[in-house]
Amino acid sequence: MTALPAFSVDILALFEERGAPRVDVPVIQPADPFLDMAGEDLRRRIFLTESETGESLCLRPEFTIPVCLDHIATRAATPRRYSYLGEVFRQRREGANEFFQAGIEDLGETDTAAADARSIADAAALVARVLPGRAVAVTVGDQAVFEAVLAALGLPRGWQKRLARAFGSPGALEAALADLANPPRNAALPEPAAALVMAGDVEPLAAHIAAQMEAAGLSPHAGRSAEEIARRLIEKSDLRSVRLSDEALAALKAFLAIRVPLARAADALEAFARDGGLSLSAALGRFATRAERIADQGLATASLTYDAAFGRPLDYYTGLVFEIAPAGSALVLAGGGRYDRLLTLLGARERIPAVGFSLWLDRIESVTEAAA
Amino acid sequence: MTITIGLPSKGRMKEDSSAVLARAGFPVSAVGNDRSYRGRVEGRDDIEIAFLSASEISREIANGTVDFGVTGEDLVREGLAEADARVEFCARLGFGHADVVVAVPEIWLDVDTMADLGDVAADFRARHGRRLTIATKYWRLTQQFFSGNHGIQLYRIVESLGATEGAPASGSADIIVDITSTGSTLVANHLKILADGVILKSEACLVRARKPEHEGDAVVAEIIERVRGVV
Repeated sequence: MTALPAFSVDILALFEERGAPRVDVPVIQPADPFLDMAGEDLRRRIFLTESETGESLCLRPEFTIPVCLDHIATRAATPRRYSYLGEVFRQRREGANEFFQAGIEDLGETDTAAADARSIADAAALVARVLPGRAVAVTVGDQAVFEAVLAALGLPRGWQKRLARAFGSPGALEAALADLANPPRNAALPEPAAALVMAGDVEPLAAHIAAQMEAAGLSPHAGRSAEEIARRLIEKSDLRSVRLSDEALAALKAFLAIRVPLARAADALEAFARDGGLSLSAALGRFATRAERIADQGLATASLTYDAAFGRPLDYYTGLVFEIAPAGSALVLAGGGRYDRLLTLLGARERIPAVGFSLWLDRIESVTEAAA
Repeated sequence: MTITIGLPSKGRMKEDSSAVLARAGFPVSAVGNDRSYRGRVEGRDDIEIAFLSASEISREIANGTVDFGVTGEDLVREGLAEADARVEFCARLGFGHADVVVAVPEIWLDVDTMADLGDVAADFRARHGRRLTIATKYWRLTQQFFSGNHGIQLYRIVESLGATEGAPASGSADIIVDITSTGSTLVANHLKILADGVILKSEACLVRARKPEHEGDAVVAEIIERVRGVV
């Protein structure tokens, strides 16, 4: 460990200037929300312990989820921005296991284009404050545009969801595309299920499945229901001879290869949509508005790039994602994005749009030390 | 230097390991009575035998308290992070076969592959208010397979200390990851293995702790060579 970096005071001053009051959250957190949101893979990367009563606890691995939980628990009014600066704890192969992060979470702002732009501007301003004069590269991606492309290509719902899930993970996306272009053969169904699937009616198939579940001693209420299985089975069977067309595959590849300065991105996406005869106007309208709001922020020392393939494969990210690195370096100093689904997943009663980012203070420190 | 070999302390695994070593020219006998936890190889003062419980062997290899061990690949890969950097699988011994598999209720007629399971897992929370649950004692292998190989993140592991195959029927988990040798236990519990759901084809292996002092050691080389010669 791990003294507070010297530039922390500058960060706190900037929070103040930008009207984002600082919140504090306990270091020890219930582990379930993190595992539920980020998945089991997080388990080996966090420090877990157990309370005397058997509750799973962990050292906070990040701030976004605790800040959101706190917001929900206090029923705070929106819109509201929270800033934080403190230690987080993760098991890492490289680097220390405890390090500092700082960031701003912007909850409930309904003008999402303006909130997105402000989030990027805040992050860039913080980096500029602690690394004065340093040129940085901002990479911007957008999950919503990818999803709009999938919808415009007329892909089946199930496929759209499968590909959207893999967005941001090149390996998973490639595997999913290969799978859809050349689907594996399904196992033959036993009778009478096969005949019921052919008939295509959910109800009798669900009744048959329910009877089988009962015979197998599976509780019909504990997990997947007979109807859910029946619906998906019929859906899948309808697609059994459908494969991803070469045309759609080519369009997706062309889309994912788009990487242009953000100022030209709206035009590039327009051209892509026109070439492919795809209707993307709603998503592109939102994209263009946000690009304008970002331009309005006048980020002097940053070069902004739109990368169509850039995303995060977590199901609560819904739109913008961005990263800031020193120009010509792969070291990510700040990362952020829009997570409109997170607060409802965490138990908020109403939908709360949200965007935020986090700075890696240990990485920033390594850059300042290298410069000194 | 004395080379220590950790062997399973009871059951079929003990007999089969001793038989392989005997064929390789290392007849193992217990020191003192039959129940003793120490053994020796006749005529070889430079080799010691430690009889350990199956689950301890991978840990003792990792600690370096034994130089070699005979144990299931599944236990080593589950027990040790970055197993290949820490141990060497010297020989596959042809017994103790067990596959670590992903099995789902047979009645999930719409789920044949990991991709199907990924679809189901993604929708699970919206439908049921919780993540898909997997009962297993193989945390590490499950995570690597689901997250690493198949990009499936949205599930929760429920620790299972025994009778894992009963978890879906009892409602304590939706699916399981477990070992099976013949598959009959799975069938009896109305479970099926996914087409691409074999995580690991495990069997008993001669496993060496990667220790610097093994470099150029004649006994270490001899043990590996002679065991390889008989399997």
